[in-house]
Amino acid sequence: MLIMILVLTAFPLSIDISQFDLEKFYFSIIVVSLLMTSFLATEGMFEEDFEDGSLEQEFLVEQDFYKIVLSKIFVYVCFIGVPIALIGAIFSFANGVAIGSFMNVFFILSLSNLLLFNVFAFGNALSINKGAMLGVLTTLPLALPVIILLGTAIRSIQYEDGFLEISSLMIGLGFLISAIMPLIISTALKTHID
Amino acid sequence: MKLISVQNISYKINEKKLFHNLSFEVFSGEGLHIKGSNGSGKSTLLRILLGITSISKGSIEYSNQNLKISFLGHKNAIKNYLTPSQNLQLLFDDATLSDAFEWLKKLGLYQMQDELTANLSFGQQKKLALIRVLAQSPELIVLDEPFVGLDHAASDLLNNFFIQKLSEGTGIILTSHIQPSVECQVIALGERIV
Amino acid sequence: MLIVGWVWGLLFAPQDAIQGNSYRIIFLHVPAVIYAELIYFFMALCALMHLVWRVKLAAYLIKSAAPIGAMITFVGLFSGSVWGIPTWGTWWQWDARITSTLILFIMYLGILTLHGSFSNLEKSDRLMSILVVIGVVNIPIIKKSVDWWSTLHQPASISVSGGSSIDPSMLYPLLISIIGLGFTLISLGILSSRSYILGREKNKKWVSEYV
Repeated sequence: MLIMILVLTAFPLSIDISQFDLEKFYFSIIVVSLLMTSFLATEGMFEEDFEDGSLEQEFLVEQDFYKIVLSKIFVYVCFIGVPIALIGAIFSFANGVAIGSFMNVFFILSLSNLLLFNVFAFGNALSINKGAMLGVLTTLPLALPVIILLGTAIRSIQYEDGFLEISSLMIGLGFLISAIMPLIISTALKTHID
Repeated sequence: MKLISVQNISYKINEKKLFHNLSFEVFSGEGLHIKGSNGSGKSTLLRILLGITSISKGSIEYSNQNLKISFLGHKNAIKNYLTPSQNLQLLFDDATLSDAFEWLKKLGLYQMQDELTANLSFGQQKKLALIRVLAQSPELIVLDEPFVGLDHAASDLLNNFFIQKLSEGTGIILTSHIQPSVECQVIALGERIV
Repeated sequence: MLIVGWVWGLLFAPQDAIQGNSYRIIFLHVPAVIYAELIYFFMALCALMHLVWRVKLAAYLIKSAAPIGAMITFVGLFSGSVWGIPTWGTWWQWDARITSTLILFIMYLGILTLHGSFSNLEKSDRLMSILVVIGVVNIPIIKKSVDWWSTLHQPASISVSGGSSIDPSMLYPLLISIIGLGFTLISLGILSSRSYILGREKNKKWVSEYV
C-alpha cells in the first residue's frame, strides 16, 4: 500500500518537471505500480504458514487447501486490492486525467487486482521455499494478459466505447480464475509439504 | 481396537531407498516408538502415516476415515508475532481453551503469556507448541522428537501424560532418540532392510 | 550423428541458391520460431502425462526439452532482431509476435529455474509440470490479447508475416530447412534426454548394465 502511494507520487513528480503530457504516461504508471504492489502484497501469502508448519496442520484437518487459499485471496483482495484500486482511481483524478467515470476506473482496477492476486498467489505457491524472484519469473508471463486487458478496459473508458463488453469479460474471467486458481495453488502447496 | 495398519510400504527419495516393505499396526492404548539415526527416515515415516507424504507402494488404513489425530512435527506451527495466549486462542475453541491454559500453567509459561512468542526461548516455544497436542483428546497422537529442547520437569510431565493417555486408550506414535519411559513397541529404521 | 551431418548439409545447401543477403536469415528465423512453440506444446503434453498418469519419463523429457526450447526461442529472437536491423531499421519492436515470443522465452527460463530450485527431484518434476500445463493455457491468451493490444496502440504496425505469397524458389528451401531443423532438434533432444535419464536413474540396475 505504502509502495503504491510512493510509486504513484514519484512518477508524476518526475514527469511534472517537464510538464509532459501525463495522459500518455498515465497507463504505464498505473500498470507498473499495480504490478509492483500486488506482487509485494502477495509475497508472504503462504510463506509464513509453510515455514512455521501451519500448512501441515491445516492439511491434517482439511485434507486440501482449497478453502484456505480461496479465503486468503478473498481477504487479500478486500483489504489490499480494493484500497489499492481506490488509490489508483483517486490518483487518476487528482492528476486531472480525463478518463470518464471514477466508478468505472475503480471497478476495473479492483477487477485487475483480483486477477493479479490470483496469478501472483500461484507464483508464490510455486516458489514458496525459494523467495519472490522465482515467483516473479514464473508468473510474469501469466500477468501480462491481465495488464493487456486492463489497458483495453482503460482505453474503452477513455473513448466510451465497449466498456460493458470488456468489463463483463473481466468479470467472467475473474470468477473463472478465482474458482480454478485455488485448486491449482492447493495442488502446488500439497506438493510442497509432500 | 486397531487404529492404524500399515502394509508393505516402501519409500524412496531421489531414487534412494529409505525403507522397503515395512508393515506394522498400532492399536488403541498402545505406543509405538520409531528409532533410527539422523536421516534414516523417521520424520518421513510419520508424515507418510499422516498422509502428508505420498508413497508409491503399499497401503495405510485407518480404523475410520475421521480418526482424530493430533500431530506436532519439527515445525512448531505457532505464530511468532503473537503472544502465547493469543496463539492458544487461535488454536482452541472456548470449550478447550481453559484446558490449554491449565497446561500453560503446568509448563511454567503462565507468567510469559502476554510476551511476544518470538522472545521466548527455544524450549519455551516447544512447550507452547506441545500444548496443541496436550490439551486435545484425540484417538491417535503423533509426535516428532517431542523431548527435544525440554527440561527434566517438562519431560517428566510429558511422560506422565503419555502414561495417562495410553491408559485412556489413545494410541501414541513418536520418534525420539531418548527412550520414553512408557512401554512401546519399537521400530528401528536405518538398518539395511532390503 | 550421421543424420545430423546430413541434415545440416541440406540446411546449408539451399541457402546458397537464394539471392538477396538479409533474407537468408529466414531459413534460421522461421524454423526457430515454429519450433519454439512446438517444443512448448510437446512439453505441455508430457506435463499432462506426468500429472495424470505419473509417468516419470514424461517429466524427464520436459526437463531435457526445456533448455532446447529456451535455446531455440533465443535463436528465434536474436535472428529476428538481426534481421530487423536492415529491414525495419530497428532491432526491437513491441510488436505482437515479438512480445509473445519474448514471453515464451521467459516462460522457458521460469520452468528451468523452478526445476533447479529443489533438492527433491520428484517434487520439482511435479511442480514443473503444473507450471507447464498452466503456461500452455497462457500461450493462446497472450497471442490473442497482444493482438488486441497492438490494434489499439499501433494499428499500423509492421507485419512480420511478409508477403502474401512466397516465391517457390524460397519456399522449398524454407520447408527443407524447417524439416532439417526439426531433425536436428529431435536428435539433440534424444541425446540430451538420454544423458539426463541415465543421470537420474543411475542407481537402477538396468543403467549399470547398459553403461
